[in-house]
Amino acid sequence: MNKISISVFILIVASSNIHASEKLTLDTVRIDLNNKPSLQRGAQIYINNCLGCHTLQYQRYSRLVTDLGIPKEILQKNLIFTSDRHGQPSKLGSLMINSVNPNASAEAFGIHPPDLSLIARSRGPDWVYTFLNSFYYDQQRPMGVNNYLYPNINMPHVLWWMEGIKEKSTGTDKVSYIVEGNMSDREYKAAITDLVNFLTYVSEPAQLKRYKLGFWVVSFLAFFAFIAFLLKQEYWKDVE
Amino acid sequence: MKESENTSGRRKFLRNLSQVMGGIGAVFALIPFLSSMSPSEKTKTAAAPVEIDISKIQPGTFKVVAWRGKPVWIVRRTDEMISNIKDNNNILSDPESSKEHQPIYAKNKYRSIKPEYLVLLGICTHLGCSPTYKPDNKSTELGLDWEGGFFCPCHGSKFDLSGRVYKGMPAPHNLEVPPHHYMSDNIIVIGQDGEDV
Amino acid sequence: MSKFMAWIDQRLPVSSFFRNHLSKYYAPKNFNFFYYFGGLALFIFILQIVTGIFLTINYKPDAAQAFASVEYIMRDVNYGWLIRYLHSTGASFFFLVIYLHMFRALLYGSFKKPRELLWIFGMLIFVLLIAEAFMGYLLPWGQMSYWGAQVIISLFGAIPFFGESLALWIRGDYVVSDVTLNRFFAFHVIALPLLLFALIYLHLAALHTVGSNNPDGIEIKEMKDSEGIPRDGIPFHPYYTVKDIYGLMVFLTIFMFIVFFLPEFGGYFLEKDNFVPANPLKTPEHIVPLWYLTPFYGILRAIPDKLGGVLAMGLAILVLFILPWIDRCPVKSIRYRSVSYKILLTLFIISFIGLGYTGMQTPTTIITWMGRLFTLIYFGFFIALYYMSPNEKTKEVPERVQMDE
Repeated sequence: MNKISISVFILIVASSNIHASEKLTLDTVRIDLNNKPSLQRGAQIYINNCLGCHTLQYQRYSRLVTDLGIPKEILQKNLIFTSDRHGQPSKLGSLMINSVNPNASAEAFGIHPPDLSLIARSRGPDWVYTFLNSFYYDQQRPMGVNNYLYPNINMPHVLWWMEGIKEKSTGTDKVSYIVEGNMSDREYKAAITDLVNFLTYVSEPAQLKRYKLGFWVVSFLAFFAFIAFLLKQEYWKDVE
Repeated sequence: MKESENTSGRRKFLRNLSQVMGGIGAVFALIPFLSSMSPSEKTKTAAAPVEIDISKIQPGTFKVVAWRGKPVWIVRRTDEMISNIKDNNNILSDPESSKEHQPIYAKNKYRSIKPEYLVLLGICTHLGCSPTYKPDNKSTELGLDWEGGFFCPCHGSKFDLSGRVYKGMPAPHNLEVPPHHYMSDNIIVIGQDGEDV
Repeated sequence: MSKFMAWIDQRLPVSSFFRNHLSKYYAPKNFNFFYYFGGLALFIFILQIVTGIFLTINYKPDAAQAFASVEYIMRDVNYGWLIRYLHSTGASFFFLVIYLHMFRALLYGSFKKPRELLWIFGMLIFVLLIAEAFMGYLLPWGQMSYWGAQVIISLFGAIPFFGESLALWIRGDYVVSDVTLNRFFAFHVIALPLLLFALIYLHLAALHTVGSNNPDGIEIKEMKDSEGIPRDGIPFHPYYTVKDIYGLMVFLTIFMFIVFFLPEFGGYFLEKDNFVPANPLKTPEHIVPLWYLTPFYGILRAIPDKLGGVLAMGLAILVLFILPWIDRCPVKSIRYRSVSYKILLTLFIISFIGLGYTGMQTPTTIITWMGRLFTLIYFGFFIALYYMSPNEKTKEVPERVQMDE
């Protein structure tokens, strides 16, 4: 189990190397896809705070049951807020989309909020984590907040009720808040770690199977290679 | 010297072991490819049970709905039609529905949970055409003794108002009843057995 | 069983084919590490065909659906992710193996008489493989797919007089679009694989006509025993079949490790920006082709002129075709060639890898000048080789092959 999460970790670190040209150094987030409770909490945070604007158009609700172990009843009762075109609550097998009209949201935010199914793959988990941690108070912006990592973004700080709203950094370590959230700095970081963990899973659900299956396949092949080596040595005894 | 016919025990053993491992490896390598051709998550979702409001169906008429892409008929039979459904042991091929082409709760002469509503898979058991609904027992189009039922235009199979096939027809057995249950008096769920089954 | 085989053999030359090409086909007994890669390349070709077929079952060559259909394969199709990773990792490994296979030819002079045609078929396979990989890379319809194709097709526009019309003809539209995607799909899944198949057949037919070279560069057919069997040859089957099975298993162990644990390979096999759907209105900050094409891309960028860059890039590939006539040294293997050749070849390999590196970086002044230096060395290798090779101070080539162990 541990081996798998370590290799996930290495993978994340390795894959974040190629885009080293980001201006801000990214904070490292510890991804652990074996931590089911963390993934479940992340799913809950996402559905409650993000799904209203940002779809996960390639992810099916039913996979939250099979992959993350969220009980079907809880999912249907507490986590499916969307409805299909007949007004019925979305089916378990349906995709995690919302009913936001792209034109309306483009008018409200200047841009249609992008789908986030693959954000953890295209940007990397560290980026998403750092992004969620980089909001600060800025009167000049229409939403009252700005972001160090993504300057002048048109997105409000949706998780402000958790984190609070930070004052612009003055270069010292001390962080002061304009508005207090209902979480401590530590709790907030844990919460967005869960969220990024969930998004990392959503970006490639196959990861849950990939490492486990890979272990057996590679072990089998390594053993086969050993046998093939002995076979080759045996035959090549004939050759002078 | 080269002697490829050297067949020491060790060589034989290693060769057999390699062949067995190669065979096992090949079989396992086939699994993902074969499995990728069976229905995907998306297809399974599309094949999920469907809920149908039956209150709008007029007596004597029927409604076609799609379940797994196949036509499913919901026929609302009138009292007259229900009384027309007889045992007819001598002219029907399987009047007791003894062969398993229906869930256990539809194993009766009405082939339904409530006699009023008949739920059938609208696909002829012969070669997969969709039969037509011919409820009119006064019509002589299908013979003077026609008591109402279904007629398959492809090869002429006839079924009664319970979807039971007549003797001597190309179709080998009765029309299939899909799994279904009543969620309420007015809503039928097709594609799923009730909880008490 | 033998009765059955006799029945078959009267109608189809199965047994004689097996004899002529495996059990009585004599290969030099001193093959080393570099001789695994031809067989491995053939294996990957088959792997790409098989995984490709299963990907086409669910892929949709339509600009509106392509990206989503790839994600559908990755998520909803049973083991779709595995099949896709096998295909994407297979593409990178195909080039890795082919480059090592070609490097082997440079080490041991395998392109020299009588194997010139064998080399030319190999080079044609390499060029087609570049086209195959390039067209295949458009299909996922991500940002890199789209802009990579846009850039590479624009290269044709540099050709004087008809360049622009040619680029337009290739795209079938004024920009890369659904039309382009559809035709690239056709070429990628049927036209080029068929051509590759034919060329691989010719490559192997030529190989079995002249026989394999070996690390000593000695023609084993010139030293035969009384029965007409080369003294330094051993039957391909079973000796090289068991050896190649061993090689294949080691290869598969490494290959599958990457498929299962590092399929993106830090962005080198699957680029991050390709997980963003193609957007014709927004170019990613940093466009690079996949790693296997960057050496040639590096040459393109080193030349400060559009047409010149395109010509230099084309020349860098074309010059390899005539290598058998550039290298005029009668000794084949590097083991018995001069120190100068060893230095030249080392410089050439450094420049090739160096160009691969500069082709991948954001072009700063230093990177551009490094690219120019490597380009000079790359072409300098061929010029120096042409003049140096006829009067090289070579060592004496032994009569019989030397075993490594």
